[in-house]
Amino acid sequence: MWAYEKRLAYPVNIKKTCPKTAQLIISQYGGPDGELSASMRYLAQRYTMPVKKVGGLLTDIGTEEINHMEIICAMVYQLTKNLSPEQAKTAGFDAYYIDHTAGLWPQAAAGVPFTALELQSKGDVFADLYEDLAAEQKARTVYDNLLRVIEDPDVRAPLKFLRAREIVHFQRFGEALEMTKDRLNHNNYYYFNPEFDKTMIHK
Amino acid sequence: MNNQSFCQCNTESLAMASVPMQEWCEPYDLGTALYHGTLFPCLNYMFFQAEDIPCPFCDKPTSTKSSEQEKALHELCKISFAITDLTLYLDTHPDCQNGINMMKDLLQKRLDALADYAAKYHPLTQLSIVTGTPESSEYEWEMGPLPWDPFGSEGGLL
Repeated sequence: MWAYEKRLAYPVNIKKTCPKTAQLIISQYGGPDGELSASMRYLAQRYTMPVKKVGGLLTDIGTEEINHMEIICAMVYQLTKNLSPEQAKTAGFDAYYIDHTAGLWPQAAAGVPFTALELQSKGDVFADLYEDLAAEQKARTVYDNLLRVIEDPDVRAPLKFLRAREIVHFQRFGEALEMTKDRLNHNNYYYFNPEFDKTMIHK
Repeated sequence: MNNQSFCQCNTESLAMASVPMQEWCEPYDLGTALYHGTLFPCLNYMFFQAEDIPCPFCDKPTSTKSSEQEKALHELCKISFAITDLTLYLDTHPDCQNGINMMKDLLQKRLDALADYAAKYHPLTQLSIVTGTPESSEYEWEMGPLPWDPFGSEGGLL
C-alpha cells in the first residue's frame, strides 16, 4: 500500500527553461538505469526474498525510488513547461516534441522507450542482490555524467542529492548481502537456492 | 553502542563479495543531510564535479527571498528525508539504539510539522486534514499547488 504526500522528497524549483537539459535528464525517468526501472526492480524482487529483513529493505528502497522518479519528472516538467515553438524546433528537443509535445513519457536520453528488459527479477537472492548493487553503481554513473555537463545550479542540486542516494543504497544492499550470507552455510553459499529449494533451508 | 548480534559478518569466502556493515556515526544536522543526500558523514562520498553546488537548506541560506511557507516546506523535507535515510539504516541495523532514539524523535517532529503545515497553509497528507485543522468543515485535499509546480505558478491551469 502506498499513500501520496503532496510534496517532492527534494524541493525542485527550476527557473530557466532548457529543453536540452530535459532531454538528458529524462534518462533517469525511463532509461536503462533510471528511477522507474529501479523501483520496479526492487518492488518485484521483494516478494520471494528468503530473508524477511531483506524483503523489508527492498520495499523501503523501492518506495524511495518512486519519489526519486517524481523528482526527475518534476525537473523535466519545469525545464520544458514554458517551451516556445522556436525552442521546440531548435533546442535539441525536436524529436521528443513531435511524439510527446511537452508531456512526460518514460524514455532514455537517446529515445529508447522504457522496458522491463532493463531490469531483472531472478528468484535467486544472490543474483538479485548483485543486480541491485550493480544497478546503484550504474545510476550513480549516470548522475556523474549529468553533473559533468549540466551547469544550472537549480538542476545540479537535486542531481547531487540523487547521486548520493545511489551510494547509500549500494551500502544497504551490501549489508543485505551480509545478512543473507549470515543465514547460510559459508562453506558453500551456492549449495541450494533459498528462494526456491525451501526444504533445504532448515537442514 | 551498535548491537549487531544478529550478524556475524566477517566470514570471507571465495566467489562471494563482502561489504562492511556501517557503524553508527554522528549524523549531520538535517539541512546538511538533505543537501548531501545522507544523514551520515561516513557515507558521504562526494564527486569532484559537484563540490561547487551551494546548499539551499543549510543554516546560512544563500537566498533570503524564500517565503515563510517555502521555509516550512523545506523544514518538512529535512525531517522527512532524515526519516527516509534512517529507515534504511534501521532495516539493516534493527538493534541500534542510537538510530531507534533518533527515529522516534524524528517521527514525532514530522507528525507535528505536518499538522502545523496543514494548519498554516494546506494539508500534505490526508491525515493532516484532521490533525492540522480539526475544527474545519472543509475537505482541503485539493488546496495548495501540485508538487511539481513551484509556489504560485498555478496561473496556467484551467
